[in-house]
Amino acid sequence: MATFELYRRSTIGMCLTETLDEMVSSGTLSPELAIQVLVQFDKSMTEALENQVKSKVSIKGHLHTYRFCDNVWTFILTEASFKNEETTEQVGKVKIVACDSKLLSQ
Amino acid sequence: MAAEAAAALEGSEPVDLAKHPSGIIPTLQNIVSTVNLDCKLDLKAIALQARNAEYNPKRFAAVIMRIREPKTTALIFASGKMVCTGAKSEQQSKLAARKYARIIQKLGFPAKFKDFKIQNIVGSCDVKFPIRLEGLAYSHGAFSSYEPELFPGLIYRMKQPKIVLLIFVSGKIVLTGAKVRDETYTAFENIYPVLTEFRKVQQ
Repeated sequence: MATFELYRRSTIGMCLTETLDEMVSSGTLSPELAIQVLVQFDKSMTEALENQVKSKVSIKGHLHTYRFCDNVWTFILTEASFKNEETTEQVGKVKIVACDSKLLSQ
Repeated sequence: MAAEAAAALEGSEPVDLAKHPSGIIPTLQNIVSTVNLDCKLDLKAIALQARNAEYNPKRFAAVIMRIREPKTTALIFASGKMVCTGAKSEQQSKLAARKYARIIQKLGFPAKFKDFKIQNIVGSCDVKFPIRLEGLAYSHGAFSSYEPELFPGLIYRMKQPKIVLLIFVSGKIVLTGAKVRDETYTAFENIYPVLTEFRKVQQ
């Protein structure tokens, strides 16, 4: 299954990458295995978000900038509000990167 | 210019009746212009660097870019040709086209500003009385096309000036095809007496 490497830049993805880097440089993990872990992370994130996450969030804000290139949408919103069933969070500035998951099944 | 028309429509400023005998000045709604930046462009590089750009070569072979002031959209082609749409006046259209050319220059392309041309002007107005479209279509058969099952408006192809008018029962009029705004104004003054002739009398 092909996956996006999109989630590697999330907090959890960055932490994983940092840890793997440390382990590779200290010699406790081979670089090949580290890459394999990252590839598995991509798959697991995609699958988890697809199958395990049921909650929905709506995001509303002022569109500052947008871009569509190489099938990736990038949005920068200002004064955004993130809403789910329970709470609302206000964010001054947020960047959204979105890929079309249909492209993976092609 | 747009403010003048808007003010005239609201009746806060007197209309020049020598130029607009009907007392109504069509409001310009959209201007389409073209310009040649006269250099080959790397559209992907532009889409990646510029803000508010879309580039999907599978669907359309141009970068679609927007700016907020003047609120317009540009189609930018790899050949260096550019189309600017959405401006409300000729000056705004030119100013917007210049701003797009400046953006392309800032991305490192030797963009020029060659052969700027207004390609189309769309205007609209409201005569504020209903119109008998069938009667109008019948007596101006050579210019009119009225097929209410296809489109609710009457399409009037004026020959002089060469302008297409969409005339609706409500009295709302759209004028398109002008290269200069005076063609829009002349076309409206030409059609206005015809519209009054076919004014619908309310029961």
